Amino acid sequence: MLLRCRIPLAHFELDIDVSFDARVTSIFGPSGSGKTTLLDAIAGLRAIAAGEIAVNGSILFSSARGINRPPQHRGIGYVPQEGALFPHLSVRKNILFGAERDTDAGTSHHLSMDHVLKVLEISRLLSRPVTQLSGGEAQRVALARAILSRPQLLLLDEPLAALDIGLKERILPYLARVRDEFGIPMIYVTHNLTEVLTLADWVLVLQQGKLVAQGVPKETLRSANTLLQLPDDRFDNVFAVTFMRSDRELGNTQVRSASGTELLIPYLPPPLDPKLQIRVSADDILIATERPAGISAANVFQGTIRGIEALNGEVMLTVLAGDEFLVRLTSAAVIRLRLDQDTRVFLIIKTRSFRVL
Amino acid sequence: MIFSVETWQITIFSLGVGLASTLLILPFGIVLAWLFARKEWPLKSVAETIVLLPLVMPPVSTGLILLKIFGRRSPFGQWLYNRGIEIVFNWKGVLIAMAVMSFPLLVRSVRTSFSEVNPRLEQIAATLGASALKVFFVITVPLAYKGIVAGALLAFARALGEFGATILLAGNIPGKTQTLSLAIFNFVQTGKDSEAYALLGITVILAFTFVWFSEWLLRTRKTV
Amino acid sequence: MSTNKIICFILLMALLFFSGMRNAANADEILVAAAASLTDALKDIGKAYQAKSKHKILLTLGPSNFLARQIDEGAPADMFFSADLAQMDLLEKNGRLEPGSRKNLLSNQLVIVVPADSKLAIASPKDLLKSDVKKIALADPAAVPVGVYTSKYLADEGLWDKMKPKIVPVLDVRATLASVESGNVEAGFVYKTDAAISKKVKIVFEVPIEKGPKITYPVALIKESKKKEAARDFMNYVSGAAGKSAFKKYGFVVFE
Repeated sequence: MLLRCRIPLAHFELDIDVSFDARVTSIFGPSGSGKTTLLDAIAGLRAIAAGEIAVNGSILFSSARGINRPPQHRGIGYVPQEGALFPHLSVRKNILFGAERDTDAGTSHHLSMDHVLKVLEISRLLSRPVTQLSGGEAQRVALARAILSRPQLLLLDEPLAALDIGLKERILPYLARVRDEFGIPMIYVTHNLTEVLTLADWVLVLQQGKLVAQGVPKETLRSANTLLQLPDDRFDNVFAVTFMRSDRELGNTQVRSASGTELLIPYLPPPLDPKLQIRVSADDILIATERPAGISAANVFQGTIRGIEALNGEVMLTVLAGDEFLVRLTSAAVIRLRLDQDTRVFLIIKTRSFRVL
Repeated sequence: MIFSVETWQITIFSLGVGLASTLLILPFGIVLAWLFARKEWPLKSVAETIVLLPLVMPPVSTGLILLKIFGRRSPFGQWLYNRGIEIVFNWKGVLIAMAVMSFPLLVRSVRTSFSEVNPRLEQIAATLGASALKVFFVITVPLAYKGIVAGALLAFARALGEFGATILLAGNIPGKTQTLSLAIFNFVQTGKDSEAYALLGITVILAFTFVWFSEWLLRTRKTV
Repeated sequence: MSTNKIICFILLMALLFFSGMRNAANADEILVAAAASLTDALKDIGKAYQAKSKHKILLTLGPSNFLARQIDEGAPADMFFSADLAQMDLLEKNGRLEPGSRKNLLSNQLVIVVPADSKLAIASPKDLLKSDVKKIALADPAAVPVGVYTSKYLADEGLWDKMKPKIVPVLDVRATLASVESGNVEAGFVYKTDAAISKKVKIVFEVPIEKGPKITYPVALIKESKKKEAARDFMNYVSGAAGKSAFKKYGFVVFE
């Protein structure tokens, strides 16, 4: 996909010039970085000052050549943040709204309504009034509607943002299914790392309207330059773990990570699904060169430094301790402890520094 | 007998012309309201002000302006007259006076209900392949219909109560251009109070009904 | 309410409306623009005329200044019956009148009215200067004919300056009567023909015709009228014996 555009916004100019070919491309960045504006521009819902947008070789917009296809003819399926289902039409009518249209660039897979309904598990909702759908159901209906209009490109604007954590987890697999089953390229806007890491093959990192990095999600998102330029300046280490037991008196819950490391996180009542995601900020992890004694933190385990990246007095360490952890320290600390590649260290993390996703 | 044949004739006439005037301004009002609610265009604020004027100017002034436009002395009036179309002292004059005076109310009401339709819904419909016309008729209007009907009812009520512009443009000819309001004026001027009250009663009942329904519609609309 | 029902109703109303609107175009319809105070008299005269003629009389009634304005702008009246000279003069100046058709037909008598149950002793304009008369209603002395005539009459009698502070200008004759009826004013000036409109006032003084102002109701044919023949016929009837007696019946003074 070829994407070039320049859009003047309130405080800055959105300036993108990229070319990528992936099943799911994620656009990642903090709020206000122009992500929704970009989607609107691609869909033709917003005027662009100059630039070019082409999808699968067909030019949707070109200021140089005077081409500006109206949204009706861009063959784009849009799933906005709030779902935007038509409240006066039934679920069925919503889903079929765009099904009749002519697309000059259809997908290679034959889309049947039954298939889509089955994949998204919404067959039984067809006669339900739209206003009686739950958040998750509404999102899936919106997805079905976009897919059944046989688009050449799917745009999703933070589709899980309005859902609570549990629901997010349950809808995420559906999105993976859509990616796998229908073969429609997707552009997925989010500021949630988990979603990017789970779904995307490629990520564009946007900040203040500028593309600051792009690449394979795992590496791109962890490269120091990228992280240190993110305005909210956080990096969460995200892990999938399994619940083992909870103790209310002691105030903690024991979980086990994929690599077998046992961690203590704040108490939570035993969940229905033992699979959890936890996160801990890179700023909340302490490093010790010897095993500490007499400290309050419950999580202490060994690891080896695999990477050091420094910038402006800050250092991001990559530490392998069963799982990979990113730890942020000051340069002073690194110098004082004489930390270097392959140094063996202890990671110290308070129970309460962990959060459940 | 107060409720004479004449009374009913005046009532039916007023209702008939009022209805016709409302139906006449409905398409224009809807289109204009949509343009106001959804589009930006040069001189838009000027248009908004002009549409609002009949609401705030003394009806007699509006009537005078209409008289100047449609009277035989103006080029336009002369053109109409040559084609046998009579406006002044004719029910068509009543129609135009009612239409002009009730237009602002219609536009305001419809504009508000259009603005309350989430533009995102229209945008998504467009991405799903709906033409602008389809979006308008399948998404925008059905979602705004309560406001449209409420506006029409309000305009109808206003048309029924219209006096100043009507008497100047259409005259006060019993049996030909006399509406409820003009008849009440006549009866009051000639001291026939009981006839005046009878007509007043009818007017009040009609106006009350229309406005009540209008408000009810507005109250029961869902904001999306 | 289903959409279909609404559409049916609308179509029905439209049908009703348009069916009643066809005007018979055979005999002539004479449109007479007349001051509101002439309503009753003209209605009677019109009815009598229609009984013996094939033409139909249509009246449009209103304030003389509105009517004059409409005629000036080309409104299709055939005859104009004004409540004062100024409006007729205006039309004559603008060339709207049929030359030679203008006549001064009627006059009126100025009277003082008080509330029907008033106990005040008022028998002449001078009595209005007494302290127990606090307010006097009068249709706008700057614009409305009866107000103009009254102020002139009172000025000629040397009473205007002293009475002015008590004068409450109101919209028109009907408003004058309403204020007197309500008791908000102690007295008011109207034409004799108007006093009959209200049963809650009584006449306490009639300004003698010779001493009073020269109130004139002129009548004329309109130049652009397409039915001058018929209109002239009606005008002759109105200014003839039958018309005159009808006017007298309603209290108008007729010029012989």
